[in-house]
Amino acid sequence: MQLKIENLTKTYSNGVRALKGVNLTISQGMFGLLGPNGAGKSSLMRTIATLQEADSGSVRLTGIGGEDLNVLTQKDAVRRVLGYLPQEFGVYPRVTAETMLDHIATLKGVADSRQRKAIVEGLLQKVNLYQVRKKNLGTFSGGMKQRFGIAQALIGNPQLIIVDEPTAGLDPAERNRFHNLLSEIGENTIVILSTHIVEDVTNLCSDMAIICLGEVVAAGNPNDLVSDLKGKIWQISVEKSEIETYRQQHRIISTQLKGGKTRLHAYSDLPLSGFDPVTPDLEDVYFAKITEKMEGVTV
Amino acid sequence: MFPEIFTFELAYRLKRPATYLYALILFLFTFLFVIYGNGPASEKTNINSPYAISQFVVVMTIIGMLVASAVMGVPVYRDIEHNTKNYFFTFPITEKGYVLGRYLGSFVVLLGIMAVGMLGIVIGSLLGPIFNLADNTERFGPLRFRDYAYPFLLFVVPNMFLVGSIFFALVAFSRQVFATYAGSILLFIAYLLGSTLSQDIENKQLVNLMDPFGTYAYDAATKYWSPVEQNVLLAPLEGDLLTNRLIWFGVALLVFLVTLFRFDFSRFLAVKLGKAQKDDVVGKGVPSLASLPVTTPVFRSGTYVRQMFRQARIEFANIVRDPYFIAILLGAILFLFLDGWFGVETYGTPSLPTTYAMLEARNGTFFFFVLIVIIFYTGEVVHRDKVVHYDTIADALPVPDWMNYGAKLLSMIYICLLLCGLILVSGVLNQTVKGYFNYEFSLYFRDLLGIAFTQYFQLVMLAFFVHTMVNQKFVGHIVTLAVYIVIWAVPQFADFNYKLAIPFSGGGVQISDMNGFGHYLASIASFRLYWYAFGGILLVLALWFWNRGADTSFKARWQLARQRMGRGSIALFAVLLLAFVSMGAWIYTNVSVKNRYYTIDEQREQQASVEKKYHKYANVLQPKITSAKVNVDVYPDEFKAVATGAFLIVNKGDQPIDSLHLTIPTDNFHRKLTRFLVDGKAPSLLVNDTEQGYYIYRLPKRMNPGDTAHLDMDVMGEYLGFPNGGDSRDVVANGTFFNVGIFPAFGYNQDAELSSDKYRKKYNLPIKEWTAPAQNDPRGLRDFLFTDDADWVTFEGTISTSPDQTAIMPGELLKTWTKAGPDGKPRKYFQYKLPGFSDYFFSMCSAKYGVKRDKWTGADGQTVALEIYHHPGHDKNLDRFMASMKASLTYYTKNFAPYPYPVLRVLEFPRYASFAQSFPTTVPYSEEFGWVGDFHDPNKTDYAYYVTAHEVAHQWWGHQIMPSRTRGANQISETMAEYSALMVLKQRYGADAMPKFLKYSLDSYLRGRANEDKFEANMLDNDTRAYVWYRKGSMLMYALQDYIGEDRVNKAMNDYMKAARFRQKAPFTTSLEWYGFLKAATPDSLKPWLTDNFEKLTLYDNRITKAEAKSIGNGQYRVTLHVKTATEYYDKAGKEISKGKGPVIADIAVLTDDGKNKDGLTTKVPLLLQKRSLSPGEHVIEVTVKGKPVKAGIDPYNKLIDRVSDDNLVKVDMP
Repeated sequence: MQLKIENLTKTYSNGVRALKGVNLTISQGMFGLLGPNGAGKSSLMRTIATLQEADSGSVRLTGIGGEDLNVLTQKDAVRRVLGYLPQEFGVYPRVTAETMLDHIATLKGVADSRQRKAIVEGLLQKVNLYQVRKKNLGTFSGGMKQRFGIAQALIGNPQLIIVDEPTAGLDPAERNRFHNLLSEIGENTIVILSTHIVEDVTNLCSDMAIICLGEVVAAGNPNDLVSDLKGKIWQISVEKSEIETYRQQHRIISTQLKGGKTRLHAYSDLPLSGFDPVTPDLEDVYFAKITEKMEGVTV
Repeated sequence: MFPEIFTFELAYRLKRPATYLYALILFLFTFLFVIYGNGPASEKTNINSPYAISQFVVVMTIIGMLVASAVMGVPVYRDIEHNTKNYFFTFPITEKGYVLGRYLGSFVVLLGIMAVGMLGIVIGSLLGPIFNLADNTERFGPLRFRDYAYPFLLFVVPNMFLVGSIFFALVAFSRQVFATYAGSILLFIAYLLGSTLSQDIENKQLVNLMDPFGTYAYDAATKYWSPVEQNVLLAPLEGDLLTNRLIWFGVALLVFLVTLFRFDFSRFLAVKLGKAQKDDVVGKGVPSLASLPVTTPVFRSGTYVRQMFRQARIEFANIVRDPYFIAILLGAILFLFLDGWFGVETYGTPSLPTTYAMLEARNGTFFFFVLIVIIFYTGEVVHRDKVVHYDTIADALPVPDWMNYGAKLLSMIYICLLLCGLILVSGVLNQTVKGYFNYEFSLYFRDLLGIAFTQYFQLVMLAFFVHTMVNQKFVGHIVTLAVYIVIWAVPQFADFNYKLAIPFSGGGVQISDMNGFGHYLASIASFRLYWYAFGGILLVLALWFWNRGADTSFKARWQLARQRMGRGSIALFAVLLLAFVSMGAWIYTNVSVKNRYYTIDEQREQQASVEKKYHKYANVLQPKITSAKVNVDVYPDEFKAVATGAFLIVNKGDQPIDSLHLTIPTDNFHRKLTRFLVDGKAPSLLVNDTEQGYYIYRLPKRMNPGDTAHLDMDVMGEYLGFPNGGDSRDVVANGTFFNVGIFPAFGYNQDAELSSDKYRKKYNLPIKEWTAPAQNDPRGLRDFLFTDDADWVTFEGTISTSPDQTAIMPGELLKTWTKAGPDGKPRKYFQYKLPGFSDYFFSMCSAKYGVKRDKWTGADGQTVALEIYHHPGHDKNLDRFMASMKASLTYYTKNFAPYPYPVLRVLEFPRYASFAQSFPTTVPYSEEFGWVGDFHDPNKTDYAYYVTAHEVAHQWWGHQIMPSRTRGANQISETMAEYSALMVLKQRYGADAMPKFLKYSLDSYLRGRANEDKFEANMLDNDTRAYVWYRKGSMLMYALQDYIGEDRVNKAMNDYMKAARFRQKAPFTTSLEWYGFLKAATPDSLKPWLTDNFEKLTLYDNRITKAEAKSIGNGQYRVTLHVKTATEYYDKAGKEISKGKGPVIADIAVLTDDGKNKDGLTTKVPLLLQKRSLSPGEHVIEVTVKGKPVKAGIDPYNKLIDRVSDDNLVKVDMP
């Protein structure tokens, strides 16, 4: 089973070009999609989740029950195997968590009520909402709502799971729990995890892509991407006033405040005088790729 | 700080487009009303008279309340909404500076918006004469600053201050913008509650004070102004109006000050805490994901349908658990119940809570709530997923589009059913509480499901479509509202009511106990099918453009729509389109081919064109019928009647007659003259105007004066299909009622001419001051008032109907039999004959009747058979009708003249019209007029008794004395019938029970006069004004018998009867002859009063300012009354011309506590009631009474026509 995205392009009616010829092949397993805000991640996610039309290009889901699906036209078939956690979502305020989840299960085709009950209860336990299942969703806090969203995305053994910024608004413990939950998902499922938190990808994904200004700027195994940068990242601590000078002389990929000083990471194939070498991590990959497209990023 | 915040607020407001939008809406509202002349009732009142401007402005402030909620609700909410509150208040500003600045800035803008609304009146008045959309350029008066400034200060400023302060305070303290919506609904409910309560005359003052907008107080202060006064006067700031303004200005000030002084930043900033929610600790034994059951999902259409119902349930639950929905629903129930409770009152007396009345309560204020629910909650349902952001989940679920779409629609069906359920519950509750247990559940269900539900749901379809297409909640509300308003307003403004072209119209139904849904059924069913096909088309379109997914651009929605236009939905679309077109064709055939449709303008144009063509024949001499023999066959199930008549006609004039002019109405009761013979020969046709129903035949033989001829006329009248609207009620399945007018009439009918000055000018017709000729005009004197086709005639005939019905014509029933009719089906025949002669006015009725019979025996041994034909269920009040018939016969035979017939009957006809009409021996009575009256409260007028007495009196006044067709003659018929009925009523309930009745008459007269379209006529020449012949007439005749004595009046009328009864030859009697007898009976001391009231237009201004009493022992009291009297003379236009110099003769009274008579009726109990002759001006009168004085006054029973009837009695002060 594979998700093949070819030349996907989308321009919004206000003229914003959200996707510019995106090509990606996503296989089973956990796939991380990294990119800054406004990179086009959510546009891509929504297109795969059948919520948005594309201007051109194709999205195909191959090997579903021996069939290939065109995601852009065979929306209904895709929705049957889809689990989607949107970046922003809400719920009917005057309905309890249990009722709503049960209802969504029905809509996902879980017709057998006993099974449905087991699934709903199980998932509510998994996301730690079992105790509050009789409460109206309108009374839930942001984190609780987010967990409810996760639960609904997992109903009905989806084979394609899309989670868009799932850990936003979760505290560290909850985030941890969520990571564990994701790792439980079967291996023969495609899970696309869209995030701007590099750590999420580092922890979970075997495959990834970085997207910026509507284009894929890097794709591959995270470890490979990191090792590509070996020996190319250099660091120096400077006063705030000096930053501009350094920026003009070097390709600074990130700046970070540390103990009153600013630490700069620079990209260079050759050693830079005054800079110390650092072992690159995924974050450096991310910033390096992004700064190819846009100005430096301040962390 | 205040000036900065104030100017910032002002500048901010002036930059908002909404500010201009509100101003524009108000401007259009007033501008359109003014330019189209939709204002004061009287044609003689200027559209921009100060009276009308004030009225516009008061109404505008009620609409302005909605603007105020938007303008005054947000100034502080803005800081919550945009989260600026978190830092804004860290700036160095004071709380008072902040509140005052924000408040006044917005308030000034609000006043500006209202001023623009008033500008609409100014511009409308300036452009009105130029565009002439009001059909009368003269109705735009001068532009006077004070006419605008006064209501602005009196209504706009205080009302806006009140609602503005309330809304401002609500948000400042609750921090919820929705509070303003709730607040405006509550204020509106308070206002509507006033209108409901004000139906009861006794609550008037309470309502005047309670209404926060001052509308009722203003109306009370101005309701009796004559047109001339309306054009110049401003409401005086006194009495209830002043009190009302002070109360509500005080309330506003209080709210404002509380807000100013209690507003507190820290409270305003406080984070709103929800209930603490216990979060889970990490549970033990949490199952692994893999351990959850693996299911094979089922995706079949059956599943989808089940899902749809589940989804609809959730949507429904979301609506009904919304606290605002519950609040609206409670308001709706309240009004439904109150409207049902008060119901329709006649003469202030309630009706029984019949099921149809309970069902009709839904057309009152309740419907307003229905509209709110439908507009807002359809919007909620359509946009809910998007608003709560659930759409991102829901839209990606594996369900077809129609599942979610259908569920949302279905939930609104539930809401409509819920609304219908309320009507049922409220109705049954009302009936039960009132002890009326005849619940007609079948009628409830048929009407609620068949008519109410289908009406509500078609509004949902429209709202659903608009909301889906617009795809934005707020804009959707506005557009839906705008569409509804256009649908409602276009027909109103443009006088255009062609239902085929007005979306979702055509729902009128009047349920009758006698005739059920009757002939409305075919019409409403056709229109419903037509509009449901249309609604279906809208729904298919909405499904295609249903927004699913994140992209809301038109391009994306069009892409989606293209994908959705599958074969199935296109086929459905085509089928609906076909249904729409074919139903449209079917309705068109009925409305415009089988029947005629004219706009209101076209109808007037027709009237004008008939007059222009044929008025020249107005005085062409025509023969008079002297004998009529008729055979009438009524076919209730076919809405058809066939009548054949053999008439004898005589030339009673002094000229020969060569031709017969016939008129046949061209309305939707299609009449055809199938046979027309004069002396057995068909006359030749000279004019054959089928379009306007005018025909001229050349007589085969000239009729010289005194010549006689036989006339045979066969006519067929029938209803074909259904018309656009209007009351086709002559022949119905059960309850047929038409009259001898089914036969063609002779000569040109002047009564059908346009009478309004406004429209006569528009169509270039000369102004018609009078409808009837002067009292000495020989052409008027030679005709009877009610028909010029005949004088006295002999009458006999047979009427047949279906075998389960009884058919009734005037006269004695000679014979009945059953026999096969022309169509072979059995028919029941009834043969009637009227002994002696009567005027040419005969009713023809047929229905399934129950009968109650009795007999009246007169003093001289004469017996009259009394019969009441009624709908079998309507038997509660039969005794009242019967008792009144007897009392009337007794009184009138004793005092006026003998009753000339052996039978007198009352019968019922369906409520499509609400009147009673007196034919010789036979009085048809509308179903609504007494049969279902609720007379259990003795203090409510027993109008069944009263109206019966009135109609029976017409057997004398109008059937024995037949006035001529001259000015003032109608007073002989109607005023005398009123007088007669009042005497019968007085005999039954006592003189002390009459004030209530007189006050009702006085109020009606003064209001009628205020709405006069031409000029007011006096008692002797009035020819068309019902408020004069009924209301003023009954007041004056009651006063006359009180002043000179009942016997004396009756003696005079007995003399008049002797002189004029059954007068065989022209000139027939006039108001002058009648008045001559009254004058002769009046002593000289009272002649000035008689002259003032009968020959002139006179109002009195009698009042008591103070009354004091002190005990002088022995249970006796010395009472001092400070009274004032004045007589005011008015010209025809309603302008005061002079004050009377002569004395006013009026009752001086001291009353003790009200008592009850033997019927339980509350009556005044006078300790002293004495006539005094008082010169104009103030008087101090001292009297001694025995018993405790409670109230004292002048003319306490309102016998005189007093402009202000409420100031005639005061409480007596006792030291």
